[in-house]
Amino acid sequence: MATTTMSQNGKATTLKTTFSRETSVAIEIKADAAIVWALLTKASDYPRWNSTITSIEGNIAPGEKIKLKSKLDAKRTFTLTIKEFEPQKRLVWGDGQGNRIYILNKTANGVLFSMTEKIGGFMFPLYGGMIPSFDQSFEQFAADLKKESETIMNSK
Amino acid sequence: MTIELFTREFESIRAQLKSYLLRITASIADAEDIVQDTYIKALEKLNTFRGESSLKTWLFTIASNLAKDNLRAQKRWVENVTDITKQAALSNRQFFEEAMNIRMTSPQGQFEVKEHIAFCFTCISKSLPLEQQLCVFLKEVYDFKVSEISTILDTNEAMVKYYLHTGRSKMISIFDGRCALINKEGVCHQCSELNGIFNPKQNTQEEIMKIELAKEAGKGNKEQLFDLRMAILKEIDPFQSKAGELQLHHLEHNRGVMDKYQENTSA
Repeated sequence: MATTTMSQNGKATTLKTTFSRETSVAIEIKADAAIVWALLTKASDYPRWNSTITSIEGNIAPGEKIKLKSKLDAKRTFTLTIKEFEPQKRLVWGDGQGNRIYILNKTANGVLFSMTEKIGGFMFPLYGGMIPSFDQSFEQFAADLKKESETIMNSK
Repeated sequence: MTIELFTREFESIRAQLKSYLLRITASIADAEDIVQDTYIKALEKLNTFRGESSLKTWLFTIASNLAKDNLRAQKRWVENVTDITKQAALSNRQFFEEAMNIRMTSPQGQFEVKEHIAFCFTCISKSLPLEQQLCVFLKEVYDFKVSEISTILDTNEAMVKYYLHTGRSKMISIFDGRCALINKEGVCHQCSELNGIFNPKQNTQEEIMKIELAKEAGKGNKEQLFDLRMAILKEIDPFQSKAGELQLHHLEHNRGVMDKYQENTSA
């Protein structure tokens, strides 16, 4: 089984196998976990601070469904279920093809934020090549979250 | 603290408390009731006041809790509240007759563009999530520090900063998209229209250009324009101003319209 070691510099890494693809990014954010969590869980506010997302409709709450439109695949609307919701620690949303996992680990200076998405399945070899790389979008997401969180944290 | 001293201190804070409550409830009756309930509740709990915060912070805490109890059951208003209420006013002859009567007979019946700017902010702020609305008013209009707001709202300072930042951003974005006073792309001309109705002999453009917010509009710094808008609110006591009665009449109208609108949209 393949494993990845995530660097914390905001650079995305992608691991490909025959039946799956996993992209991850991690970055240290010098802000209170409450702020980072609030940004990650307020659906309607995403387009204001996150340049990778066009819109999210619905409530990011346990068991809820959301409709997400991203800039990476502008024509599609992804209907996703909130599968895990552990305040200020872990958020998972996904569909039948894969899951997006957000993890917050508190550090001395704030939070280590990581984001991973694994897509795959038996049919993955047939369609995997048509799915664009997530690397740049992941890096931008992490950078946007860091910038917005730290702006709020440093406000007076 | 003795009851006499407390009552004296309370009276010195009453006007600020009442205007804060009016701005978050948009209801004269609710604001007056909550001020009175705050006094009674504070008096009952006076022996628990240890001076760990200022009396003003303590009273705003009690008042905010009472207001939140009142507001939690209500739906938030919508961003285009002023469009909805304008349409309702245009088809309500009685509203204009009452307003003109106030304009002609009341010492607090003058129409001033500044007052309407403050009134407009009150209405539109009710489209913010409640915590954001409370934080914006407490910080920007009533000069509380982040630490004091965290006490008033019983949350941590990080969340107060989050509510403030997102509340400010939302209000800046709404006004940027609709206020013709500071943005040529804005669609709302209610300030100038109403000035034309209530002050037909006045040059509306001249009046508007007396306002710092309008003078600075061309420079386009949205954060600064927001601060200028807040400076207008700070200057005005909605119960005591020269336009008080006219604007309160307007506010009661809007609340009634929005109550009906909420009923219809949730049915």
